[in-house]
Order: sequence, then structure tokens, then C-alpha cells
Amino acid sequence: MTQNQNEFTQPDTLGQPGTGDVPAGERGPDGPRSVVIVDDHAMFRSGVRHEIGDRCRVLGEAEDVDSAVQVILQTKPDVVLLDVHLPGGGGVEVLNRVHQKNPDQKFLALSVSDAAEDVIGVIRAGARGYVTKSISGPELIDAIRRVAEGDAVFSPRLAGFVLDAFSGAIDIASVDEDLDRLSPREREVMRLIARGYAYKEVAKELFISIKTVETHVSSVLRKLQLSNRHQLTRWATDRRLV
Amino acid sequence: MVSVSAHGRSGSELEPGPVLPRPEAHEAHTDSVRDQVLQTAARKAEEETGPGHRRATRVSDGALLGGVCTGLARHLGWPVMVLRIGFVALAITQFVGVIAYAALWLLMPPESRTSAPGLDAHRRQGLRQETKHRRRADWGVLLALVVLGAGLIWLLQMTGLGIRQQIFWPVAFACAGAALVWRQADTARQNQWKKDAGGRVWLAPLVARGGWPSIIRVVIGLALVGAAFGIVVAQQNQIQQLPDVLAMTVLALAGLAVVAAPWLHRSRTALNEARAEKVRADARADMAAHLHDSVLQTLALIQRQSDDPKQVQRLARRQERELRTWLYGEEVSDATLKAALSNAAADIEDDRGIPVELIMVGDCEVTEKLQPIIRAAREAIVNAAKHSGADKIDVYAEVGEEQVEIFVRDRGKGFDQDIIDEDRMGVRGSIIGRMARHGGTARIRSGPGEGTEVRLEMPR
Repeated sequence: MTQNQNEFTQPDTLGQPGTGDVPAGERGPDGPRSVVIVDDHAMFRSGVRHEIGDRCRVLGEAEDVDSAVQVILQTKPDVVLLDVHLPGGGGVEVLNRVHQKNPDQKFLALSVSDAAEDVIGVIRAGARGYVTKSISGPELIDAIRRVAEGDAVFSPRLAGFVLDAFSGAIDIASVDEDLDRLSPREREVMRLIARGYAYKEVAKELFISIKTVETHVSSVLRKLQLSNRHQLTRWATDRRLV
Repeated sequence: MVSVSAHGRSGSELEPGPVLPRPEAHEAHTDSVRDQVLQTAARKAEEETGPGHRRATRVSDGALLGGVCTGLARHLGWPVMVLRIGFVALAITQFVGVIAYAALWLLMPPESRTSAPGLDAHRRQGLRQETKHRRRADWGVLLALVVLGAGLIWLLQMTGLGIRQQIFWPVAFACAGAALVWRQADTARQNQWKKDAGGRVWLAPLVARGGWPSIIRVVIGLALVGAAFGIVVAQQNQIQQLPDVLAMTVLALAGLAVVAAPWLHRSRTALNEARAEKVRADARADMAAHLHDSVLQTLALIQRQSDDPKQVQRLARRQERELRTWLYGEEVSDATLKAALSNAAADIEDDRGIPVELIMVGDCEVTEKLQPIIRAAREAIVNAAKHSGADKIDVYAEVGEEQVEIFVRDRGKGFDQDIIDEDRMGVRGSIIGRMARHGGTARIRSGPGEGTEVRLEMPR
């Protein structure tokens, strides 16, 4: 489904809609993903473009909230690489404005900051993953693929934050609320990711398929985005996230 | 007269010292750190290039007496010698030169050494030596006051408008008292006060807090003025009328105080606010300086070692870690497990040049009971850095209700646990053995080509 979304895309056209000469059928599931890079540092943008250029198609770049919203809505890339800190309201603002018009747009957040406010804030605003900017090229390409396929990308740090946020004794009153706690399996998956395991390794460790791992992670992402769990709210309030 | 024209001329150039408005300053502290730093940098730049016309300043470099001639020469673009000879000639003929010189000495602000924010910050933190010129200038100003006073008196006496002998001493007392009071306004702080008090520099001694010395000075000064007043009254009138006169004077002064009090209070508040603002601005400048400093150091080191990629990576990583903690980091008290593990990770990262990624869930105080697990974790990280050949080490620590768990994982070459080599004895002794001795457990999972994971558990 994601491949069909960007029929009109053209490599390296900055912010301009393509002319639709790439038939959707020609691209297998491992075909190049289309990407828009949003970051206020030109140096970082060109660095990323250089690193992922031969495996992904960079449809455009943007350096602030307004231009980002415009380029994303125009080019409809598979994945938007979104810097958390942006002039004009930050990555969260981009997420909100794009999702108003196009709720299916997928975002992968990148940041130099490991601050909990940034990570949880951008995930709760709708990003499907979070990685730090020190991530290596192949890892980034892998993360882009995962997000494009509708899965979530959890760095060890994000997994750590999730465990932190959902930790504590289970609130008896809200046990029924599925959203408000992690299942034991999800917890195990999160712990392994926090320990530095790749999805493949998590699958091997727990004797489950990679697809199941991805399902668990996506489910955790959903909980993180939707949960109003007392524990999470308090955790967020402590850190002035809400 | 020469003195008047000279005074008028320089005065017109001296007075309109533009007080820089700082409207952005109050909104500033709600912004992010980055915005604040940027704003500070922008304001500094504005201050440096700001005022359209330059003011004449006294120059301490190359000054013979007060730096007036040097300063004027620089301001007017004339040779210094011309001015010096001019002043000496005036002094010899009419003594006007002396008065003009002294007046200029007082009116021309000492050259303010605006330097880069980094230098200012270092000076504030005592990392640089304060230049000694200031002190000399301070004494010089006192000297200037004496010279000015003497010159004025001499002039008056010579012109025949001189003061009669009987009121000479009262006038002298009054002058000395006034000089003592205003002496305060004439230190190097004068400029600052002028800025703070919105140009009302004459208010500064009354509203500023200068500590005990300044209070004593003001009291003595006022007492001297009072004494002068008393002497005059005693000489002019009958001694028995003195109480009445004093009472009336006190009444008049009290009325004046009542009228002026709100105004004084307001000025004082403004002054304090300005001072607080300056402290905030300094703090921001210090932050900017710190930032640039540390990055500059690292860039220099990277240039020098640019042919050693490992070393460059290590430097960049350390700088990144430091900046990240400084910009976004949470305050971590030194006595927590998180701090202990972060320090261990940072040390090893620096020593070995391998990134160590630490993820913590929960945190707790470091107790004596937790020391072994911290040491074992450190040993495990060192081992991974030394032997695994992996390009990254993941450390995950979770503080639960009853126990602390730490996982140290690498994706390196791994090893067969049954044949642990001699130099891997650290694993047995300082990890497995140590944990067992202190009531914890250590499990190692490894195999050739699979990487290694050390799992440490310790009850709290």
C-alpha cells in the first residue's frame, strides 16, 4: 500500500511534484523508498542525502516548519525524516499540520537530543519512530524501510523511556484498560531492544518471528501515543511534557 | 574662556551615552537555551557596533597622568604632544589648563574594555587575570579631584572674588564632604551606574548598595557638610540661635525626604532590576562562551590528529557527549546509580575510543551494597571494549523494586566460555567472582561470532 502512495515521484526534484513515470508495480517491497529530509542544518541534510542517496530517493528538503509542510504535502514521500528541533515550532508542529491534511503521512524523527521531552513529545504527536542523528547509514536506511512498511522504529533509548514511562506497579483500577499497560511480551520486547538487540535478534531470543516483534513494537507505539494512563501522564507531567 | 569651551565641547560629546534598551531581555528566559544563547550573541554584537558616535575616553595605555591628552588626541585625531604642550602652557599662564585637565579627567569615562564574551566570561570565572589599569585610574581620579579643587580655589582667590578668611574653612569642609560623597560616583562603576540609573548618575550614591565602606564614606561626607554648615551658622549668627536654625534645617530636610522618598525608592528598584538583568545576561554569555570554548578545543585537537580516524572519532564522541549533557541533560546527582554508570561509560569511551550507549530505566541512590555491581559492570564494559572488536557497546540498567539488573552487550567476536584465555581471567575474578561474593549473580552468554552479553543482578 505504501508503494502506491507515491506514484508521482521523481528522484532529486526539490519540492516539486513528480510526473508519475515510475509504475508502482516495478518497485518490489525492497525498492527504494522516497524520502523528504527536514532539518535546519544544511550540512546535516547533505550528509544524510549522501548516506542514503543510493538506497532511497530524496524527493525534497526543507529547513523550517512552513517549507516542510509545503514540500511534504506536495511530494507525499513514503517517509519524512524529521528533525525534532526546527525553527517555527519544532517537529511536533510539522506533524500536527501535515496530519491534519494527510493523516497517513509517516514520519521518522531524528534528533541530537536524547531528552525525554523531545522523544516522547514527537512520538505522541504521531511520529512512527525515533532515532538519534549519530545513527549509521545502513541503520537509517533500515529504519526508513521499517517506517515505510508501517512498523515502528524504536531505538534502545526510546525503549528505555517507554519502560520508564510504563513502569511501576500496575494500577488495579485500570487493569482492564489495555492501552494503559504493556503486556508481558511487549515488555520483554522493549527490554531486549533497550539492551541493544536488533529486531532479528529479539525474534531469535524469544522464538517468535520478526513480524511478531514488529507487531509488538507497533502496539507499544500505539499505546504510547494513545494512552492516558495515570502513570504515563504523571511521568509526562513530571517532565513537563503535557 | 578656554576651559568653558573645552568643557562644552567635550561635554556635548560625552553626555549622550546611549543607554541601550534591552527589550528582548525580559522575554528571553522563557525561550529555549539555544534561543537564549543566540540572543546573547546578537546583543553582544549590537553592543559592540551599536553607538553611532564614539565618545572620548581616557586611555590608560601610554598615559602620563590621567590619559586625558592621549584620549583626546585619539578622539580628535591630533598628535598627543600638541595637546600636552597646550595643556602645560595653559597651566603655566592661567592655571586654567589645570582646571580644564582635571574637569576632563572627571568627565571622560575611562576606556571601557569591551572584550569578547568568552574573555569576559573567563574573567568573571577567574580564569583570566584582571588588568591592573583600573586601580591606577581610581587613585588618579582622587588626585584629579584634589587638583580641581585646589585650582578652583586658587582661581577664585586670584580673581578677587575670593572667599573671606572666616568662611574659607567651612567652604573647604563642605567641599571635602561633597567630594567624599561623590567620590563614590567616580569609580569605575560610574558607567555601570549611569546605565542602571537611567542616566541619573547623581542619584547613584544614594540608591546604590556599595557595602559598608561607601556608607561610612557618605556618613562622614554628610557630617563634614553639616559641620561646615554649623560653623557658618555659628559665625554668622548668635550662638543661642543655633538650636532654632538646626531644628528648622532638620524639618526642611525631613520634608524634602518625604517628597523625594518614592522617587528614590523607584530608582532603587530600577537599579536592582538592572543589576539582576546584568547577572542574567552574564550567565547567558558564560553559557555561550562555554559552548564555544569546548567545541573550539575539540576542533583544534581534531585538526591535529586528522590522520587518525579512531582518535578523531573519540574526540568527536566525547565532545558530543559533553555538549549533549550540557544542553539537554537532566541534572543527575552524583550519588545515583545513573551517575556512577554514566561516569564509568564515559571513562571507558575516552580510554578505548568505543562508543558506550547507556540506557537506564529507573534510578536509585548508590549504596554500599551496589558498589560491587557497578565495579563488575565497569569491568564488563572494559572487557567488551578490549576484546570484542565491536564498534559499539550497549549497556542497559534497570532498577526494580527488589533488584538492580545490568546488561552489557556487544556484537563483537565473542568467545567460547569453556576456554577462557589467561588475559580473560578478569571475567572470572572480577565479574563472576565479585558478584557471587556479594550476593549477586553474573551470567555470561557468548559464543564465537555471536558477541557477548554479560548479565548482572544484585538485590537492592
